Amino acid sequence: HAGTAKPQPPPAQPAAAAEYVGSETCAACHTDVSDHLAQTPHGKGAFAKLSSQGCETCHGPGGAHAENPDDPALRPRIDRMSPRQQSETCQKCHDGHKQFFWKGSVHDRRGLSCMSCHSVHNFKSHEGQLKAATETEACLSCHKNVRTDLWKSSHHPIREGKMSCSDCHNPHGTQTAKMITANSVNDQCYTCHAEKRGPFLWEHAPVRESCLNCHSPHGSNHQKLQKTSVPYICQQCHSNTRHPGTLYDGTTLADQARASNRIFNRACVDCHAAIHGSNHPSSPYLGY
Amino acid sequence: QEQGQEDQTTTQEEQTSTDTRKEFTFRVDPVVLGIWEADVDTDSAKWEEYRDVSSGFVPFLNIEGEAGDRFMNFRGEHIRRDDARYNFSYGILDRYSIVVDYNKIPHRFGNNGHMLWTRTGPGRLEITDPIQAANQTTLVNQFAVNPSAINFTFLNNLLRPYLATAQEIDLGLIRDRTLARVDLGSMAGFAWGLEYTHENRKGDRAYGGSFGFNNVTEVPEPIDYDTTGAQIAGEWNTQRGGLRLGYRYSEFENNISTLMWDNPFRVTNSTDASAYQAPGSASVNGSVIGVADLAASNEASLLFFDGRTRLGGWNLSGNLGYQIMTQDDPLLAYTPNTAIQGIGFDHQRFNASDPATLPVRSADREVQTLSLNAQAGTRFGERWDLTFRYRFYDYDDQSDRIEFPGYARYQAVWEEIPRITVPYAWTRQNASAELGFEITNATRLGFAYILESWDREFREIESSDEDILRLTFDTQPSNWFSLRASYEYGDRSIGDYHTDAQEFSFVEPEGINNLPGLRKYDEAARTSDTFNVLAQLFPTEAWSFSLGATGRDEEYDESEFGLVSDDTITYNAELSYTPGENLTFFLFGQRQDRESFQRNRQSGGTLSTNPLDDWQVLLDETTDLWGLGMTSRFNESWSAELEGRWSKSDGFADFFSPPGGTPNVAVDFDNYEDIELLSLLGRLDYKITRNARAGLFYRWEDYTIDSFIFQGLQNYLPGALLLNPNFQDYTGSILGFELSLSVD
Repeated sequence: HAGTAKPQPPPAQPAAAAEYVGSETCAACHTDVSDHLAQTPHGKGAFAKLSSQGCETCHGPGGAHAENPDDPALRPRIDRMSPRQQSETCQKCHDGHKQFFWKGSVHDRRGLSCMSCHSVHNFKSHEGQLKAATETEACLSCHKNVRTDLWKSSHHPIREGKMSCSDCHNPHGTQTAKMITANSVNDQCYTCHAEKRGPFLWEHAPVRESCLNCHSPHGSNHQKLQKTSVPYICQQCHSNTRHPGTLYDGTTLADQARASNRIFNRACVDCHAAIHGSNHPSSPYLGY
Repeated sequence: QEQGQEDQTTTQEEQTSTDTRKEFTFRVDPVVLGIWEADVDTDSAKWEEYRDVSSGFVPFLNIEGEAGDRFMNFRGEHIRRDDARYNFSYGILDRYSIVVDYNKIPHRFGNNGHMLWTRTGPGRLEITDPIQAANQTTLVNQFAVNPSAINFTFLNNLLRPYLATAQEIDLGLIRDRTLARVDLGSMAGFAWGLEYTHENRKGDRAYGGSFGFNNVTEVPEPIDYDTTGAQIAGEWNTQRGGLRLGYRYSEFENNISTLMWDNPFRVTNSTDASAYQAPGSASVNGSVIGVADLAASNEASLLFFDGRTRLGGWNLSGNLGYQIMTQDDPLLAYTPNTAIQGIGFDHQRFNASDPATLPVRSADREVQTLSLNAQAGTRFGERWDLTFRYRFYDYDDQSDRIEFPGYARYQAVWEEIPRITVPYAWTRQNASAELGFEITNATRLGFAYILESWDREFREIESSDEDILRLTFDTQPSNWFSLRASYEYGDRSIGDYHTDAQEFSFVEPEGINNLPGLRKYDEAARTSDTFNVLAQLFPTEAWSFSLGATGRDEEYDESEFGLVSDDTITYNAELSYTPGENLTFFLFGQRQDRESFQRNRQSGGTLSTNPLDDWQVLLDETTDLWGLGMTSRFNESWSAELEGRWSKSDGFADFFSPPGGTPNVAVDFDNYEDIELLSLLGRLDYKITRNARAGLFYRWEDYTIDSFIFQGLQNYLPGALLLNPNFQDYTGSILGFELSLSVD
């Protein structure tokens, strides 16, 4: 799309034997590839304007291969390049924007390239020319433990396709940890949960530091993406006099003799409803 | 050469001019008309939690238009349904583009909740006065005769007739999200982007309104949020580097900022020292209505600057962000209970239900954040790389501290305990150095040291340092094998722990302390071990395997109470077999085990020092996820897809309390939380012509939940009047037929 690519000068002329032969020559043999490519962004007229050498803009000069097509060693295959060379090939055009911080990003440093996730010729996704059918599947091909979380009962609508990993992360690299697209975890969460942003009259300190103190954004077996269910997650920090330190065990469930509104339903949050912060003058304990 | 470039540029401009005159040709690829027949055996909201799978037509349309360099696309998914998404884009490649995206996301929390209230206006829930009066009269009379008889049985009998005819409410909301973005390509070396976002969230969710320890009244919180955002950013890239700067604005507006709901047990306001325990043997007093100050409208502005360059063999990059977040909602009065008199700092009584008696009339909050990130990386020798990184984030609440002479506890009674707001502030710094060595062209070993430091104001710990050592190993020696592994060891040390940090919110020392041995886990000293290993094998064209494990173990050895340890490990295995172009099988399985252990001590009105009052719980969760499936193309016309997934969580809460104290024993429960989802999908497709396809699919799901937290839940329980909506078990299926056409 506009702004994601810039016109390129012809690649530096390589060794004398490496001559450009033009895309027509490539298409003469690689008909299927050429026909398919024509239906994709890299087969459109705009690509032709941005790339001086057609197929050879990415693959490099094909003269030697055209002269000896049966010699596998002369095939200008991009997957023979190192990951860094592969990415540099793509970045001749796809530089800046989401790829602005690619160089030195964790995926770059650990040997991934554009081709690890994307394919120019054999992509399956509707957007982004990904090798996987969806962006989420592309990410899960390596981040497999996240799949377990996504299928937990409490989850963001990722497996329903209403969100994707790139709503929070930029796999091409950011300056922040975990490649999130905001400057902090909370800033990231506020983009969709702005009602939690405050600042409030009465604050809950760990809420302001990181939502991850209490929530698992990829999924949880407990309601509201809680890392640990209420009331126990609250009691991991609050164990002072009276009810915060009280034991809520199997005898205090709703259908038991000592049923307590501090364990059933939403437990502590049954009363401390404004747990993310409150503006009510009478709510220093974040009640309402 | 320059002349040649000019000629080339001129030719390109002429070509562009020609392109923009071309007529659009459109391709419909595809238009799909689906008909779904859904069947579900319960009213569980979980069935349609984030989706609309109701019976009816399910259209899909994708149109791609092209006129030379110009493009115009439209995509509509689940058209006119609750989870619809529409996307329109128009532009000229490499010059500009316009994208408009509309995404509708349902989020259903529960169906068929029961409530005694009637919505009489935005944020107003009422119970008719005669009901309140009847309940109050019964309670007052009983209190006069025999207060101890006001127990759950008594109250349950009082409410049961009304609950029998209570109205039903479905809890859930829909997010209507719109994004409009204009990208302008190269303009004097700059690319500009303009973005506008708007989201309206509307619906209801459960809210824990409470009139006191014995009178939790869960009510539907009305949601009507508008969140609007705008961003402008410019980017300039050259061969030597790039710059990006921009401004982002976000406004959150809550159209219903106050919730008022009637107390089912009171028709006149009253108060006494024990009113927060009403209705019960100690009191039957309290407020007629409850008031909650719902999410406050707020604004945020962010100025950001990104840069990168290459200098002397180093890749340098960084960004700077400065943000202001403000909130200035008007404050509500201390209480709506007109019977409560506040007591000021001057010990004079005042009307606590009059907002004019507040020390300030609006919140007037402001936070400034500053973030700075910088990275420098280089390669040296044949095989070495070195990266330095520094991250800084400062959260500074600059709001004035406001003193309140006291507060109304649960709208029931004035507490003459002066409180003061606490503008928490913190700074996080993270500095790291990573050295990488390429053992071979396809094998890299990385070693990193990271120092993460926190400085905090008004919390238990003023500063902490965490030393982290990380080792990474990545290899792909051939096309058929890759291995990625990492291990990280962290050691967080802390300064003095101020158990009495709570006192920061009291004007005068209150003496309310946590246990001296308790350490809040987000600040506490800890060691951590984190690992990740993934091996992938592609022994033949047909077979692929992967085997991996991920884990993190946190140990809080210096924490006598609170979270003591938290250990999670996940194993995964995948197998894929593709014997030919037309057939693929896959199988995957994952198991995650988590154990978290915490220790507490039960106290009464004063902090216990008796170890026999201790209790502890080991929370154990095992989560399994298995999937298998196949896709097959039988011939040119027929293809099929089968898929099954099964996820199951099995939890156990293992308690212990030594005998002889309070508590004396502790009873385990084995439904922490047991949830199971089995999902099966079968699909058969028939290619009628080159451009037409018919498909038939059947999806079946079975969901069960057995959770301690909902075990035995009813609309009225000791101390709680609940909505108790249904988001639990279901068995559902969708039978769908789709006709798909592509038109050139």
